[in-house]
Amino acid sequence: MSDLADRRGVETEVYQPAEDSMLLADAAVAELAADARVLEVGTGSGVVAERVRDAGANVVASDVNPHACRQARERGVPAVRADLVAPFRDGVFDAVLFNPPYLPEDPAAERDDWMEVALTGGETGREVVEAFLDDVARVLAPDGYVLLLVSTLTGVEEVVAYAGDRGFSAVALRDESFPFETLTVLKLVR
Amino acid sequence: MKEDLLDIVCCPLDKHDLELDIDEEEDDDIVSGTLTCTECGEAYPIEDGIPNLLPPDMREAA
Repeated sequence: MSDLADRRGVETEVYQPAEDSMLLADAAVAELAADARVLEVGTGSGVVAERVRDAGANVVASDVNPHACRQARERGVPAVRADLVAPFRDGVFDAVLFNPPYLPEDPAAERDDWMEVALTGGETGREVVEAFLDDVARVLAPDGYVLLLVSTLTGVEEVVAYAGDRGFSAVALRDESFPFETLTVLKLVR
Repeated sequence: MKEDLLDIVCCPLDKHDLELDIDEEEDDDIVSGTLTCTECGEAYPIEDGIPNLLPPDMREAA
């Protein structure tokens, strides 16, 4: 028991890079034009933003979690504490990247800490994604696009349909299967 | 934060411009200060180089 508690205690403040982060970073690096202006929403450890920056993009990272903002800044990525895209100007980004909290809520495992905020997207797993899709078009440049990581646990078709209702068409750029889920990076264009 | 961040951020409430007041700056990096909305007057702190642009109702809870 104490082992588990200890392990949990290792990182309860900021979601650390995992397969999903790498998948999003790889897709972004392949997709982005050199010197693109990019926003990464929900940057967490900042590792995706850092890779995108190293590939030549002009990147800004945002997160609701102050510890995440600090980690991103320590990587040399400009960080803004924000609720999704709320404090960003209209039409300024060539691309917005987001690896959202996407797990459906499990009341039995509720934790009430920053890791919970990083992982769970409400009852359906889609609440944060949907709030993001409601506003993200506003901050995109005319040819701007979104790279969004989704999981079969969240419901890829449901996310694509919701994005469609907000004027986006979706292309799957790459996916990767794991024992309990398949992860897909969607490119959303208008 | 760098001053050119102002080119891409705005007030999260009404999307108007923010005015920068610098308290502490190191090598063009603004370490602490305040961003104030030119329209509604809401003030957003910059601490440890990170602007906190959460809307006021989320700032306290988190």
